[in-house]
Amino acid sequence: MDELRTVRELYGEPPPDPLLKARVRGLLDAEPRRRRGLLPWTVGLAGLATAAAVTAAAVVVALPRVTGEPPGATGKAGASSPASTVSGRSILLAAATTAESGPSATGAYWHVRKLNRRTYPERLGSGANRYWMVESRLTEQWVTEDGRVWSGSRALGAAPGSGADEEAWRRDGSPATWRGRPLSTSPGKGALTAVTGKAPFSMAGRDMTIQQIRALPTDPEALRRWVTETVRDTPAGSADGVVADALGGLLWSKPSPPDVRAAAYRALAELPNVRYLGRTTDERGRQGAAFSFTLRATDLSRATIGSPATDDSPAADGPRAADAAQTAATVRRTLIIDSGTSQVLSSTVTGLPGGVGDQVEVVLEAAWTNTEPTVPAVP
Amino acid sequence: MTTMSWTAHPAEDAEVVQRSLDESEGFSAIFDAYFGEIHRYVTQRLGADGAEDIVAETFLTAFRKRARYDPSRATVRAWLYGIATNLIGKHRRLEVRTLRALGRHGPDPDPPGHEERVAVRVSAESLRPSLAAAVAALHQRDRDVLLLVALADLSHEEIATALGIPYGTVGSRLNRARRKLRATLGETNPMLDAEETDRG
Repeated sequence: MDELRTVRELYGEPPPDPLLKARVRGLLDAEPRRRRGLLPWTVGLAGLATAAAVTAAAVVVALPRVTGEPPGATGKAGASSPASTVSGRSILLAAATTAESGPSATGAYWHVRKLNRRTYPERLGSGANRYWMVESRLTEQWVTEDGRVWSGSRALGAAPGSGADEEAWRRDGSPATWRGRPLSTSPGKGALTAVTGKAPFSMAGRDMTIQQIRALPTDPEALRRWVTETVRDTPAGSADGVVADALGGLLWSKPSPPDVRAAAYRALAELPNVRYLGRTTDERGRQGAAFSFTLRATDLSRATIGSPATDDSPAADGPRAADAAQTAATVRRTLIIDSGTSQVLSSTVTGLPGGVGDQVEVVLEAAWTNTEPTVPAVP
Repeated sequence: MTTMSWTAHPAEDAEVVQRSLDESEGFSAIFDAYFGEIHRYVTQRLGADGAEDIVAETFLTAFRKRARYDPSRATVRAWLYGIATNLIGKHRRLEVRTLRALGRHGPDPDPPGHEERVAVRVSAESLRPSLAAAVAALHQRDRDVLLLVALADLSHEEIATALGIPYGTVGSRLNRARRKLRATLGETNPMLDAEETDRG
């Protein structure tokens, strides 16, 4: 079934559009009712459409630029000096002990608030004057015990990637928007949507509920075995990387109970592909220990087998050399962990194929709360 | 109305459509239940901007033709996907353009709780441009079937009724589409290579 899954991944998951829904309701509403009994849904719908419009209006606020610092293509995480794996292991084990006494579920909603940053995957500009733009976006999620999910998203505006990118952007006339592209230098007004028919969490591609996460093994070895079983049929270049990623994923943005978090830390400490990079700070200046693991290893030999020197696929209009380099790149995730609290502060994925640059996610909040879901506010 | 074997909860749906013939407010329930996924499907194929009109047209068409809906032949869901697919078919160039954009851009950032999708997706990511080109190069008929399976998760039977084609034709179109995609992916994807070797 791999082609089908690959096709689904290609298309991705477009965000819902409640305003369009209200508009289409309006159109249906205006349809002639050839038969008897015309009123009720007209009334109901008009009310809804108005409600949607009010929601939209309420969130139009001017936003300050959040990305104050230059959003360079390489995160700070990778720049740290390497340290011995022994101390890395002890940091993870210490974090496990801290995690064990962490808070358990208190509150109506499991709430995560993240700042996402990534380079817009297409080089903009014209002729020889080309530049990369970096987009920032806030994403939030609320999940209740009984599996209701709300998802919030707010674009914070795009900015040129580097100094050179900024110069090229200025030469291009400092555009604020780009024709036909979902990109703007201005912040968006944001949206909050109730998500239906989707599992609130996933782990290595497998859907998970809060209850399933809670029922995970609390023994590190049993947890590692469980995850290894689960990812067995997951298509990815490196099964080890997917196991590490799934274990790491339990530590951030999932409501893993304290003993499961502790087990995940202990299991990670024993994985051969987890590297300790040393002390560092995340993008918001918070101190932590950086760990990285490979999501997909460099695989030059296999990547080139059967693929001729010339790439004749019609849609590949990018530079060939760059494509080849991307194919060969090692994809790696670096987590910065606050060993004092055992919280994950940020994640940076480097080496993604297709020249898309680094994908940075900064965890602003990951905790239980009683505060109702709202459109993401500016940090 | 006689009882039929429906998947999901289509018996109720079918009843709602039937009822909406007399009470058009009933159609509201259909609209509420399916707007989300029809919007998603059309947006996936035509992009957010292009999808607006088609999504609206899908529901307007369904509303206008509700008297002609035959619950003994198709579920409401399949019926709506059929209408949407026919409308999408009139915008082939927009679809090809959307695919080209999909090949270049990635999907949106992973929402909280799903961060490890990236690991699963990584191997597919490098193939994005050639995969998009391969989907765009498919014959429209084959692409419709492929995407109704991959994106809408319709059964062969539902696709047959939604598109008004024989059951066997669904299978042969799907196989042809998958064969062509596999030929594209197989050349460059070590993972699929490995799997093919296992199978062979």
